[in-house]
Amino acid sequence: MVEMKTIEILGTGCMKCKRLMKNVEVAVKEMGIDAEIKKVDDITEIMDRGVMLTPALAVDGEIKVSGRVADVAEIKRILGGGS
Amino acid sequence: MARGSVCTCGQNEKRRIIFPCAGQANTGQLTNLAAVQLTEEGFGSIACVALLATGSEGLVANARSAGEVVILDGCPMLCARKIAEAQGVPVGQHLVMTELGIVKGPSKSYTEDDIELVVSAVWQGRGRS
Repeated sequence: MVEMKTIEILGTGCMKCKRLMKNVEVAVKEMGIDAEIKKVDDITEIMDRGVMLTPALAVDGEIKVSGRVADVAEIKRILGGGS
Repeated sequence: MARGSVCTCGQNEKRRIIFPCAGQANTGQLTNLAAVQLTEEGFGSIACVALLATGSEGLVANARSAGEVVILDGCPMLCARKIAEAQGVPVGQHLVMTELGIVKGPSKSYTEDDIELVVSAVWQGRGRS
């Protein structure tokens, strides 16, 4: 059984965060995986997580991308499904 | 030297240039609107494909050194892509409106949903090969 992944989008809510969220949703849907997608918009928590550049993408607690919007193919690679 | 803000948004994004074909049909006009919205959202900077066609040295140099060049063509004539290739500009992402399901003419109209479809596709990287 494949474990459910926890995917977090860290950012204070600007357009780039929204685009990253949408790309994550598309990638998860296309891969057909079970994932919990969370938004982290508290700047203190974002800084505490060591993220200096937003938007950032974390998978199971590990920061994978920061300072840019990952595209769908990259998100799929990160989630282990290739592009 | 003073450092910039420690919390900034999108600072690792590539420097991108977007060339819409801006043709007369609804599909061409849609490329223009999508490119304007992408510029407003911070994806990249819209530039004039007609100026590129003239061989403008400055624009050609900018386009060749960009992190990614995005070409938005309205229809299978692929005018904008052909112009970029003629100027030796490498194309990083290429989307054709008709391939996204937008029907070319005779109507000149387009909807907000059409614009969102194109803008989302570019952010998603659908035009990368």
